[in-house]
Amino acid sequence: MLRLPSTPRRHWQKQARDFGFHFHTLYGEPYWDESAYYQFSLKQIEQDLEAPTEEIHQMCLHVVNEVINDEQLLTKLAIPEQHWDLVSHSWRQQQPSLYSRLDFVYDGTHPAKLLENNADTPTSLYESGFWQWLWLADKVDSGELSRQADQFNSLQEKLIARLKEIARFYGVQQMHFACCKDTDEDRGTVQYLQDCAGEAGLSADFVYIEDIGISDTGYFTDLSNRPITDCFKLYPWEFILNEEFARYLPEAAVNWIEPPWKSILSNKGLLPLLWKYFPDHPNLLPAYFYGEAASASTEVLRWIKKPLFSREGANISMLAAGSETPLSDGPYGEEGFIIQAYCPLPRFGDNHTLIGSWLVDDQAAGISVREDASSITQDTSRYLPHIIL
Amino acid sequence: MTTLKRSQFINLSRMRKHFALKPLAVAVTGLIVSGCGNRQEGQIFTSVDDCKRDFPDATQQCEMAYQHAVQEAARTSPRYNSEYDCEYEFGPNQCQRVERDGGSFFMPFMAGFMVSQLMSPRYYSQPIYTSFSRHSPFRSRWITADGYVFDGGLNKRKYRVSPDVYKPKPTVNRTMNRGGFGSSVRAKSSWGSSSRKGGWGG
Repeated sequence: MLRLPSTPRRHWQKQARDFGFHFHTLYGEPYWDESAYYQFSLKQIEQDLEAPTEEIHQMCLHVVNEVINDEQLLTKLAIPEQHWDLVSHSWRQQQPSLYSRLDFVYDGTHPAKLLENNADTPTSLYESGFWQWLWLADKVDSGELSRQADQFNSLQEKLIARLKEIARFYGVQQMHFACCKDTDEDRGTVQYLQDCAGEAGLSADFVYIEDIGISDTGYFTDLSNRPITDCFKLYPWEFILNEEFARYLPEAAVNWIEPPWKSILSNKGLLPLLWKYFPDHPNLLPAYFYGEAASASTEVLRWIKKPLFSREGANISMLAAGSETPLSDGPYGEEGFIIQAYCPLPRFGDNHTLIGSWLVDDQAAGISVREDASSITQDTSRYLPHIIL
Repeated sequence: MTTLKRSQFINLSRMRKHFALKPLAVAVTGLIVSGCGNRQEGQIFTSVDDCKRDFPDATQQCEMAYQHAVQEAARTSPRYNSEYDCEYEFGPNQCQRVERDGGSFFMPFMAGFMVSQLMSPRYYSQPIYTSFSRHSPFRSRWITADGYVFDGGLNKRKYRVSPDVYKPKPTVNRTMNRGGFGSSVRAKSSWGSSSRKGGWGG
């Protein structure tokens, strides 16, 4: 695993305009960064990332099955009681999942350690599945990179195939795609999935989350008053389940992507449960519910305390020698916390590097590499392409 | 090379977004490509006479369908600040200057109109464009006002614009209420986040 400098393609910003990649720069800061790339060996990809990703996914499904059948655990994960049926029904029906992203601490040598599972609303999908693919194609075409250079990135192919399967599962040819207003990044991610759905032969309609309506007959509607029957939503289940229209969920009978059972996986409570069922697994970090058995492990000196629900590394603090140091603030935490053994991101130069490992359904489908100025939080990260050579 | 770890093929024309130069405004005409179900055969005509030749018994409907498309074009056509930008996308002499509401902009000429169910009282039509610009991915293709590109070249005039649906959609008479989702995002956003990202993905 190497970080190698590279000359940005001269035409990339025009290309970004042509392809509608509007969030390569966020709030005046570069987000897409092709001034360098990461190089992995095939062995690193296949043994250290691909195989553990698929294995951890199976372990996660095991956790879901345990939680679904245990009211205490459902309570602990702050899943609202009135929606337990919705969640467990979606699991028993085996409602299909589209995708997830596992975040790993990985330095090329030691086993990758799971930081968290973004199972419900992962982003950076477009940059991963399409944009870095295009970067590699250009770099190879121009002769700057060897024809042998490959990339761990079959995301787009797999997303298209999976959307086809999901449409077949529900017997539909049309789906809605939804995200919140005022975010180019989320809109871009959802547009990408609409494009993939188009390639899969589906007709893909868009609606903003805030614009969803409820009809006289109890169905959700888009702005043209058409019923929403099958919907991809880039909006977290923990929000949906606590909002006004949640009471219509059972009757509206939408086939959601991701399905409601994903609310168990996107919950940080997943981490202590994984550690409980699979203790000392080489790809896991010790983790506990905050306040429970926190002192059980004396080998760990420093812990990271995270809210059950949080985004972008908000509301995180470090626990060491009995004292708590806040590392980031934010609006989360009322539902409770977990602690996870501190495992710093590896450094390449001044950059702290985080590996996102993608799953489409249960298949590992590629990685994304993000760099940050900080070793823990990830709110100023930049996205860098990678190759296998 | 043996097995690739990356996607073998990506359809770049699908990924290319609407217009190489972003129009000032793109209205959603929608119906043809985004309608849920009820898709019909759609046919492109390059003139009213073209339509009348195919439907000698429906010359009046041809006129109405054409007029409707012209009105839609005025409303939904892509708009550009400059003639250069418009011609860059659509080709030389393919754009007109429009003055409206005290301002002006450029939009491409309609190249034709697409009609579905001409013989039905609920017929529907929309403006269709094409590009003569060598810069444009739409060169020699039919496209809608919102940038949907039809398969095939300009000779192909008939499209199955909607496959049959497998299952009927539930009935909706009217929407009673909107805005019941999204309150959490408002609540969390009002907290002045240090995070520069606005999205709710992770």
